[in-house]
Amino acid sequence: MSRKLLTALTGIAAALGIGALIMLAQGYNPAATYGALARFSLMDLPKIATTLKNSVPLILTGLSACIAFASGPVNLGQPGQLALGALAAAVGGLFIHAPPGFEVPLLILLAVAGGALWSGLAALLRLAFSMSEFIVTLMLNMIADFFAAWVIAFPLLDPRAFSPMTPQIDRAGWLGEAGGLSTTVLFMAAAAAVAWFVFRKWRAGYEWRISGQNSLFARLGGCRIEANFLSVMLFTGALAGLAGGLVVMGGPHRFLKGLGGNYAWDGVMIAIVAGSSLVGTVLYGLFFSAIQTGALGMELITNVPSEIAQVLQAVLVLVIVAGREFVSAALDRAEARRRARERAP
Amino acid sequence: MNVLVGILNGMISGATPILLAALGGAFTYHAGMFNIAMEGMMLAGAFGGVMGSYFLHSWPAGILCALLASVVLALIFILFSVVLRTDEFVTGIALNLFAVGATTYLLRQTFHVKGVFAGQGIAAIPRLVIPFVDRIPLAGQVLSGQNLIVYAAVLATIGASWLVYSTRFGLRLRAAGYNAACLDSSGVSAARIRVAALLLCGVLCGLAGAFLSLGYVTLFAENMSAGRGWISLAAIILVSGRPWGIALISLLFGLFDGLGLLLQGTGIASQFTSMVPYAATLATLYVYSIKRKRRT
Repeated sequence: MSRKLLTALTGIAAALGIGALIMLAQGYNPAATYGALARFSLMDLPKIATTLKNSVPLILTGLSACIAFASGPVNLGQPGQLALGALAAAVGGLFIHAPPGFEVPLLILLAVAGGALWSGLAALLRLAFSMSEFIVTLMLNMIADFFAAWVIAFPLLDPRAFSPMTPQIDRAGWLGEAGGLSTTVLFMAAAAAVAWFVFRKWRAGYEWRISGQNSLFARLGGCRIEANFLSVMLFTGALAGLAGGLVVMGGPHRFLKGLGGNYAWDGVMIAIVAGSSLVGTVLYGLFFSAIQTGALGMELITNVPSEIAQVLQAVLVLVIVAGREFVSAALDRAEARRRARERAP
Repeated sequence: MNVLVGILNGMISGATPILLAALGGAFTYHAGMFNIAMEGMMLAGAFGGVMGSYFLHSWPAGILCALLASVVLALIFILFSVVLRTDEFVTGIALNLFAVGATTYLLRQTFHVKGVFAGQGIAAIPRLVIPFVDRIPLAGQVLSGQNLIVYAAVLATIGASWLVYSTRFGLRLRAAGYNAACLDSSGVSAARIRVAALLLCGVLCGLAGAFLSLGYVTLFAENMSAGRGWISLAAIILVSGRPWGIALISLLFGLFDGLGLLLQGTGIASQFTSMVPYAATLATLYVYSIKRKRRT
């Protein structure tokens, strides 16, 4: 545990250092930039609330990728699953007008189902035809993207809109704020708690983890690898779909072009940086959300374009992961040398 | 007849970036590396091409800058995956995201636009008209008059096939993929072979990127590579890295890409036609898996 923390902290420090060098090369003041980043994401409660709200899709897609990677299936379809979850929630919100109190859970269920459907498709193709889910989920991402683009430009186009988007969903499906904090955060927290419970405490999660670490051992131990594969894909697709649904319900209340943004790929990066740790995923998700939220405000003050947040994120991921393996290898070598010395006559 | 020529030309221009990137990826595939950074290298190449062509007012400079940008990305990959032994999958994904972020950021910083930069001063890569070939009635319109990079891609296919299967370097390359430890113990550093493979990949992806931004259109759009890196990865895997197989698959995907543009004239919405290359990849994977099942 402390080894992980150590490499994480040194990695973050190194990455911020490299980021500072990049900024200096461009003529910006790193201290002012980082200060602005921190100020605009964490300075007061409304800003913290915004950071938390923005972290919802990041953390959910991050959890999706994290659980998938730790259990074996390579699910890189979070972008498509998010899009379909968002689309399902939007469609439901446009055509189903339930009383308030029922609408929200219904739309959430639709979003979850949408995402699980898309990942389930990839899982079925893998189980039935041995088609690598790595490539299938990637291709399905693009297909989902274009499908959603078609839906919002033709069947569900809002005639009064100036660019392709659906009309706004039923007001009963809007997720507003409670005490200044977006209720989407509550849903995310609940989903994260469920994910943690399933993954770490339930037998299914145990089987997933063991299958991920050594599938032969798991199979010999009696795990049904194919069924577990399907259930992991469905669960992680559901998480990504939920992210999409919450973005629609808590944000613009409609599906518009570019809704998914970079959320899902950022989520994959967060999962990679966190390793197989769910808690790490949540923490990194909050960290990346702070960077992104702060970047928009930072742009107003320091004139540094907000896109530098993306560069900073990629540098962070590379440095932290590289540092982790490097430090791990170095520590292992030191340990091996120590043992060899002990045994030497 | 014009329609046929149009389809063939569309097929070739759709196939070229995929072919070049896939050839680059084939080198790393044979070396046993899990390289998914072609997308990022292509994007960097596209941006470098526009930068070089716009500021230095010539397309050769554009191509050079494209290669430079792409090779820089390859060097970062080398630093992390060969020197620091970081997992190649992670390095590739992070590099792709770095390329998107960096090019978007630099697009904004340098040209002060968001989304697309299509300035007047970008010099395009010219077409090559072959003197006698272009008189041939039908084939002439396809074989001659293509963009320079198309011919470069053909040469690259021939060169790659020769390099991988008929030279000592190619033998060592495949040995690195087959059993790197064995290669190391025979005295040839597998790490150096991998570095060479990555540099070759960088050069070829840079050419692909230059074609995207300086070939038939002269502009840079955010995230311009648009998933072509993933398609080229699929192409490599489907033919196990054989250059001529890659050329065939690239033409197939280029055909589907061009088919998408053709269908736009009909009532089918453009989004469905854009889906075609990706659905085609899935279909190809399906056929491939059925064939494999039949063999066992």
